[in-house]
Amino acid sequence: MTCDEVNELLPFRANGTLEGEELVAVEAALAADADLRAELAVLIAIRDTMQAEEAQSPGDFGLARLLRDVEAEARGPTPLAANDNVVSLTRLRIWQVAAAVVLAVGIGFTLPQFATSPEPVAGRDAESAVGEGYSLASGGETADFTVIFSPDASEREIRALLLDAGVEIVSGPSAIGLYRLNLLDSASRNDALEILSGADIIGDIE
Amino acid sequence: MDADHKFLIAKIAQGDKHALAALYRALERPVYRFIVSRLNDPVEASDILHDVFMDVWRSAGRFEGRSKVQTWIFGIAYRKSIDAMRKRGRLDLTDETPDMVDDGPDQETCLAACQEAEHVRHCLGTLKDDHRTAITLAFYQDMTYCEIAEVAGVPEGTVKTRIFHAKKLLMRCLSGRVERGLT
Repeated sequence: MTCDEVNELLPFRANGTLEGEELVAVEAALAADADLRAELAVLIAIRDTMQAEEAQSPGDFGLARLLRDVEAEARGPTPLAANDNVVSLTRLRIWQVAAAVVLAVGIGFTLPQFATSPEPVAGRDAESAVGEGYSLASGGETADFTVIFSPDASEREIRALLLDAGVEIVSGPSAIGLYRLNLLDSASRNDALEILSGADIIGDIE
Repeated sequence: MDADHKFLIAKIAQGDKHALAALYRALERPVYRFIVSRLNDPVEASDILHDVFMDVWRSAGRFEGRSKVQTWIFGIAYRKSIDAMRKRGRLDLTDETPDMVDDGPDQETCLAACQEAEHVRHCLGTLKDDHRTAITLAFYQDMTYCEIAEVAGVPEGTVKTRIFHAKKLLMRCLSGRVERGLT
């Protein structure tokens, strides 16, 4: 075995996968060459350092997402084709939606306090007063539904759900993660409401 | 270990979701670490990991058992990472190696540097993708050169050459960081 061949195999001596004649040849070269032994020590140290590095993998959250999608696939094919009627959501970041939901919860506690002040208008309840006083930051038009998507919903899942329900996003996300949806021309409101309400990726719907 | 994985794959092919969960728990971490080492984007790596295991679910019935399950799954992850890099326009398909002067790095200096995770992380990041992939599979996953060749879909000789150059570049980078006093 040539010197170059030994050099090429040295990383595999460092990771312990070398066997048979190749291992014998590399061991013989190591016994005869101090520089080669020093290089092996470096490679072993690099490997040890790399293996000691921890990576924060998706873990149980990733497994839950996987099993949910497997279930969804088992229920039937999901239309995945691009559709010009649907607003394109480019790379919806999980952390952004998660942050929006946290904000939504916080504001959910705060809203009732504001709803009672100023004086309620006669004939209106607190809920309608809140509806008047707070609007989405992105877009003021009316909408058929207002929803929050669950934090781990992927763009693909959202796109598939919107297609299935026959709705499109007309505004959002707001600062608290709300999306406003409108029915497409041919869609039925009741059918869309049923589909959206039953979807795992919808955290809340109005 | 591989016999266990093959048992799980057979169960998955019959639609057993518990087997899929077990295989995911066994291999999720190393596969994710491999993907993230190539893409350097944890969010995108999570999505690709998800796609990899969806592929496992869909195609377990086509697994012929000629290779290790781990090698098969890493091969899927490798190809999906390439697709992602292609979309980003970040893929370098040439097997050229940067010019290297012939003086070897000081190995004592190198030994000191390679015990610092920050130095190793930085220097891995300077490698071309095919070099980094080969080193990652060899040192993170302890794969043989045959297995790395199977994952990457290249001849064994190519893997040995990539590892050889990656090793030299890595050692040069590590000793250079110490000599320049970087911490």
